[in-house]
Amino acid sequence: MRRRQLLTLIGTAALGLSLAQQPTLVIYSGRGQSLVEPLVRQFQEETGIRVQVRYGTDAQILATLQEEGSRSPADLFWANTAGALGQAAAKGLLRPLGATLLKQPLAFVPTSQAWVPVTVRLRVLAYNPQRFKPEELPQSLLDLPRFAQEKGLLGRVGWTPTYSSFQDMVAGIIALHGEAKAREWLLAMKALNPKAYASNPAMLEAIRAGEIDLGSTNHYYVVRFRRAGYSLGLHHFKEGDVGNLALVTGAGILKTSKNLVAANRFLTHLLSAKGQQYFVGNVGEYPLVKGVVADANLLPLEEALKKSPRLDFEKLPLEQALKLLRELGIL
Amino acid sequence: MLQRRLSHFPGLLPFLVPALLTGGGVALPLLYLLLRALEAEGAALGEILFRPKNLELLGNTLGLLLGVLLLTTLLALPLAFLTTRTDLRGKRLLSVLLTLPLALPGYVGAYVLLAATGPGGLLPLPRPEGYWGALLVLSLLTYPYLFLSLRAAFLGLDPSLEEAARTLGLGPWRAFFQATFPQLLPALLSGYLVVGLHVLGDFGTVSLLRYETFSYAIYLQYNAAFDRVYAAWLALFLLGLTGGLLLLEGWLLRRPSLARTGKGAGRRARAIPLGPWAPLAYLLVLLPLLLALVLPFSALFHLASRFPREGFLGLGEAFLHSALAAGPAAFLAVGMALPLAYLAVRHPSPASRALERLAYLGYAIPPLAFALAWIFFSLRSLPFLYGTLPLLVLVLGFHFLAESLGPIRGALHQVPRRLEEAARTLGETPTGAFFRVTFPLLWRGAVAGGALAFIGAVKELPLTLLLAPMGYATLSTRVFSYTQEAMFAEAAPFALLIALLSAAFVGVLLWSERRF
Repeated sequence: MRRRQLLTLIGTAALGLSLAQQPTLVIYSGRGQSLVEPLVRQFQEETGIRVQVRYGTDAQILATLQEEGSRSPADLFWANTAGALGQAAAKGLLRPLGATLLKQPLAFVPTSQAWVPVTVRLRVLAYNPQRFKPEELPQSLLDLPRFAQEKGLLGRVGWTPTYSSFQDMVAGIIALHGEAKAREWLLAMKALNPKAYASNPAMLEAIRAGEIDLGSTNHYYVVRFRRAGYSLGLHHFKEGDVGNLALVTGAGILKTSKNLVAANRFLTHLLSAKGQQYFVGNVGEYPLVKGVVADANLLPLEEALKKSPRLDFEKLPLEQALKLLRELGIL
Repeated sequence: MLQRRLSHFPGLLPFLVPALLTGGGVALPLLYLLLRALEAEGAALGEILFRPKNLELLGNTLGLLLGVLLLTTLLALPLAFLTTRTDLRGKRLLSVLLTLPLALPGYVGAYVLLAATGPGGLLPLPRPEGYWGALLVLSLLTYPYLFLSLRAAFLGLDPSLEEAARTLGLGPWRAFFQATFPQLLPALLSGYLVVGLHVLGDFGTVSLLRYETFSYAIYLQYNAAFDRVYAAWLALFLLGLTGGLLLLEGWLLRRPSLARTGKGAGRRARAIPLGPWAPLAYLLVLLPLLLALVLPFSALFHLASRFPREGFLGLGEAFLHSALAAGPAAFLAVGMALPLAYLAVRHPSPASRALERLAYLGYAIPPLAFALAWIFFSLRSLPFLYGTLPLLVLVLGFHFLAESLGPIRGALHQVPRRLEEAARTLGETPTGAFFRVTFPLLWRGAVAGGALAFIGAVKELPLTLLLAPMGYATLSTRVFSYTQEAMFAEAAPFALLIALLSAAFVGVLLWSERRF
C-alpha cells in the first residue's frame, strides 16, 4: 500500500509541477517520436515555450480527440496523413488557419484551409541498379506488371500490402482511374507471384541482397538506405502518374486550443527554413518552402512537386481500397 | 437462504465494497461501447448487424480460438506433466525456459517470426501467414499461461487420490483420467480462459499476419476507416463471443471440491521414471523452446547489436517509467482480484459469479476501446485525473485484473474451507478469518497473479499510449515509436528489455509455486 501512496504522491507532484509551469503547448502527434522529438526540443530552446507531446497513430489520436471533445487539452494535431487531417477537419475539430500561414507552402494546401501541409513524401520505384538501366523502366505504375512479365520477373517483385502508404496508393489508383482499373492492376500484380514484405526496410534489404529486383516504396526509405552506404536505384514514373503519389504530412490547430499564439508559432516554426531543413536532413522528406539546402539524393523541389498527380488528398477512398485488397486476398 | 446470506453481510462488507467498485470500473467501458454503438441510425444499424462479413469474422475467430486451444493443450498438458511429475532432468530450469515465451509481446513475437522466415529471413521456412501462421504464433505465445496454470495444479495435487484409484485396481491411465484429471479441470479451464481471452483480444499478431478475426476487423475500423460506430459494434460482437466462452467455462466448472479433507500434510507425488520415453520427452520440450524462445531472442539480439550506442540513454528512463506504471498496476490488480475471487469461490451466488465474470469480460474489451472509454469518462467525471499516472495505473489495473484472477482463484480452491470455518467458530469474522487463515495460504497465488498482471502491463500498448502522462515514454511506447518509423534496430533494445523484465517476473511466478 505504501508503494501506491508513494506513487500517487509522485503523480500528484508531477501534475502540480506541470500545472505550475504555464503556458504549455500540447501537441498530439501521429508522427513518430523519433522524428518529432529533436525538432520539438529545438523549438523549446528558441522560444522558451514548453511543449508536451502525446504520440500515437493518426487514427488513435483522431479517436482520442473525438472522445475528449470540448475538454481536450490539445492545441495541435500533427499527422502523418492528409486523410486523418481531412477527417479531423470534416468532424469540425480544427480551426481555420490564417492566410499568412497558408501562403507559405508551395503546394498541397487543402481546400478546407483547416490545416497546413508541412512535408511531402513521394511513392517511388526502388530497384537493383545492376539489373536495369533507368531508361528501360516503365513510365507508369500501371505498366509495371507488363514490364515485369516481359523481363521474366516472376517471384522477383516485392510489395508491402499491409503498409499504409501502399494502401494510399491503391486508393489513389481508384480515385484517378476507377475501381475496375485498380482491380485489374492488382490482379496483374498478383499474377507476378510477388513477395509480400512486412516493412519497407525489409523489402529494400531484399532488393539489395538480390532476392528480388524491384518494389514500390516511399522515397525516404531509399534515401536512408543510400545514406547508409548501400547502392539502390530510385525511379520516378512520368509526371502526374499515380506511382509517384505524394503523401502529405501536416498539422492543424484544434478548436479547443487555449494557446493560439504558441500554436501558430509552432506551425510557423515547422514551415521556417530551419524547421524544413530538419525534415530534409534528418528524415529525408521533401520540404514545402524555398530556400532549403537540398539533399543530393532528392530531386530539385520544383521538379519533385510536379511528379505527383493532383487529387483531393483529404478524401482518398481508403476504405474502398482496403475492401478491394481484402476481396482479392492480398490483405 | 436469504437470511443466511444477509447475516453474512456485515462481515462481507470489506469484500463487497471493493468488488462492486471493481465491477463498476470494468462495466464503464461496456457502457461506453453501448453508447457508441447506439449512435448508429436505423438503416445503417441493420446494415451493420447483417453484414455477411460478420459471419465470416465469427467463423474465423472461432476457428482460430478452437485451433489455439487445441494446440496449446497439446503443448502445455504434456509439458506440465513432464516438468512436475516425472524424473526429467533439469525440470526447474526447463520450467523457467518454457514459461519465458510469456515475456514476448505479441507484436514483437509475430514480427520476429515474420522477419526470420520467408524471403530474406534467417530461416529457410515459408513465412507463416493467415490462419496457420496466426495459429502457430498465438499458440507459441500463449501456451505458457496454460502451462503455468496446469503446473500449479499438478504441484498442488494430492497424490493419494490417484494412489487410492490404483489400489482399487485401475491402470495408470485410467487412474490418471478418473482421479487426477478432474482435479486438473479448474486449472485447465482457467488457463483456457486466459488463452481464449488473449486470442480474442490480440490485435498485434493477427494484424501482422493478416488473418481477419473480430479484433483485426476492429483494428482496421479504427485505423483505416476511422469508424468508431462500426468498431463499437464489432467490439460488442466480440464481447458476446467472450460472454459465451465465460458461460461455457462456468457451466463446465461445477465447483467440485478440490481441497484435501484428511488430516496431515499433503505430500508431493513420487517422480515417475521416464525410462525409454526420455528422448521423446526432451524433443517435446525443445520444440517450443526453439520456436518461441531461441528464435525470437536471437533475432532481437541480432537486431539490437546493430543499434547506435547513444540511444541507451532513453533506455533507463523508459525502464523506470514502465516499472512505475506496471508495478502499482499489478499491485492494484491483485488487490481487486482478491475480493472478487473470494466472493465467487467462498460465497457463490449468481451475483458474486457475475461480478467475477464481468472482470473477465472487461479483459476482452479491445484495449483501444477500453482506453477511449476511460478518456471519455475520466474527462467528464474526474478531469483532474486525466493524463496523470494514477489514472494509467488504475486503468491498467482494471484491464489486467483478469490475469490475476486465475492463480488466485486456483489457490483459493486448494485452501481447505474447513480451516476458515474453524476460525469462524473461534469467533472470527469472515474478513478476519480470511486474513488470518486463508491469506497466508493464498499469498503465493497472489504473487503469481501479480506477476502475470505486471508482465501484461509492461507489454501493453494502446492503453499506455493514450492514457499515460504526456511525455511519459515507457518501453512499449518506445518500441512503438521506432517500429512506426521502421527503425527496427533502434526498437530492439527496448523490446529486449521488455522481454528481460518480463522474464524476471516469470522467475517470480515460478518461485511463487515452489513449496517449502
